Amino acid sequence: MSQIWRQRLTDCAIYLAYAVIIIFFLFPVFWVFSLSLRTVPELYASPPIWFPLHPQFQNYTFVLHQTPIGGYLIHSLIIVTATIAVVLGIGIPAAYALSRFRFRLSRSVLTAILVCQMISPVVIVIPLYHFLSILNLLNNYAALILVYSALALPFSTWFLKGFLDAVPHELDESAQIDGCNRFQTLRRVVLPLAMPGITSAAILVAVLSWSQFVVPFILVDDSSIYPVTVGLVNLQSNSDGITLQYLAAGSMIAIIPVMIVFIFLQRFIVSGLTNGAVKG
Amino acid sequence: MARIPSAMTRLADVDQPPASNPRPRFAWARFGNSPWPWLLPLAVVLVFVFLYPVIEIIRLSFTSATLINENTPYTTGSYATIWHSPDFISMLHVTLLFVIFSVVFQMALGFVIAQIVTIGQQRGLRGTVATRSAVLTAWAIPGVIIGIIWSLLYQESSSGILNYLIRPFTHHAIPFLSQPQVALISLTVANIWRGTAFSMILIYAGLQTLSAEVTEAAKVDGANAWQRLVRVTIPQLAPMLLLNLVLILIDTFNTFDMVLALTGGGPGRSTEVIALTIYDQIFQQLNLGIGAAYAVVLLTINLVMTVVYIRLVERSGQGRA
Repeated sequence: MSQIWRQRLTDCAIYLAYAVIIIFFLFPVFWVFSLSLRTVPELYASPPIWFPLHPQFQNYTFVLHQTPIGGYLIHSLIIVTATIAVVLGIGIPAAYALSRFRFRLSRSVLTAILVCQMISPVVIVIPLYHFLSILNLLNNYAALILVYSALALPFSTWFLKGFLDAVPHELDESAQIDGCNRFQTLRRVVLPLAMPGITSAAILVAVLSWSQFVVPFILVDDSSIYPVTVGLVNLQSNSDGITLQYLAAGSMIAIIPVMIVFIFLQRFIVSGLTNGAVKG
Repeated sequence: MARIPSAMTRLADVDQPPASNPRPRFAWARFGNSPWPWLLPLAVVLVFVFLYPVIEIIRLSFTSATLINENTPYTTGSYATIWHSPDFISMLHVTLLFVIFSVVFQMALGFVIAQIVTIGQQRGLRGTVATRSAVLTAWAIPGVIIGIIWSLLYQESSSGILNYLIRPFTHHAIPFLSQPQVALISLTVANIWRGTAFSMILIYAGLQTLSAEVTEAAKVDGANAWQRLVRVTIPQLAPMLLLNLVLILIDTFNTFDMVLALTGGGPGRSTEVIALTIYDQIFQQLNLGIGAAYAVVLLTINLVMTVVYIRLVERSGQGRA
């Protein structure tokens, strides 16, 4: 009997811990959501109210129509989509070479890629600012996407290599005996089998690029191509508390796409994070 | 994975004569048989976006260039300036406190949560996935937005929620972001919230790979839960905990976005971590040379950590790097 009670007690303790963890991690998001639905008096109510009685959903319409946030979302979407394409276009062939060719320098190449991953974006973005301003390429989508891609490529290449390694080499060989050259082997045999890994890589690149801040903050000063992260920081520094509910609504709008990706594709993210991080 | 059967059937075709491909494209095929063409695009991008900037920042750090005037003679003056500057010591102090406390608590919390979630999973409790997702949410939110969110939580007026929750215990409002020491603590807490997910998911993955038999054996031998944790689980996880440590150290040293949005380095310079100092020197004070010297300091930290990381990976014997 005491054994059963001990088991029950442990279960209760774990449920309690779950509750504490969930509150600690979701409360900040809940609070911003609550702020985003308020009227100005509710914003400054003292003591603070937990949730507005009459949620002001028009705050969201206001933010989307009266502030440039809607446009910033589209800029982010363009940049992120293009970045995924470039990263996969460059990363998959590189990962294939590192996975399938035996050559002397392959370890050195892998190490060099790893070193790039560890370098702070703040460090490299300063010379890039300088260089791109000479070429008159600041505020340029193509340059921006190239830098975004470069920052995502080291981890993506490692990550994709891990997934290509998992595709049995015998399949390559039989395809080659069938008369496929390497391009055909990659496209018809290896890629279809590595699809789950490629999807994970694409999602991770999307989440990380959506969050990217330093690069556009320094390489862009024209609001007509601001991504949403830079746009929100500008809104924050210009609004000075008068429009807190709009700042909160803007933050929610910027989080929602990530949340949607996250809720529906979580298994890819979890496997991706564990795989990718353990390998570098 | 549905494609496996169709790929497998190709094995059966091996008997057919290889001449089934009527147009052998020799140039292409030979081109594709060396690894270098496959790696070339990656190499070009990495040279342009990493190698060139790193060399350039080192060169700039040995000048006294400003954003306005770049043609200055080579000198070690920038390093001398920052070495003798009181700002350097205070920046180092702030950065180290921020990094050490962030990293220690992220790993400790990450470990505890990973352990709880793993036990819950073994017992088949509901809410395990929900808990894991709640933690991961913090990871997916962009750093600047985390800064904005926490600046709203830390509001010091009477409508600020954290101050409202804490008032019964402290009896007065806490100057979360306006008093230097408190601001550094507030910043670190927000960063712990942000970074715990990463450690949690890594340790969680590590716990899944541990063999249940060893833990069972310890249990049979009469080890209690605490002994099993300290003597069995942690030693088994040690290599991956070390890797986790190095990865989050690098990441925390590089933090820029969240700090900028939450405190902007203030009040004064009380929360100015190294990445913010670099930005401030170059883009606010226009001291390209001095900013570059600070950047080289950060770069050195990055590289030292990377060497440690590579050593650890090699030692763990998995030959992954």
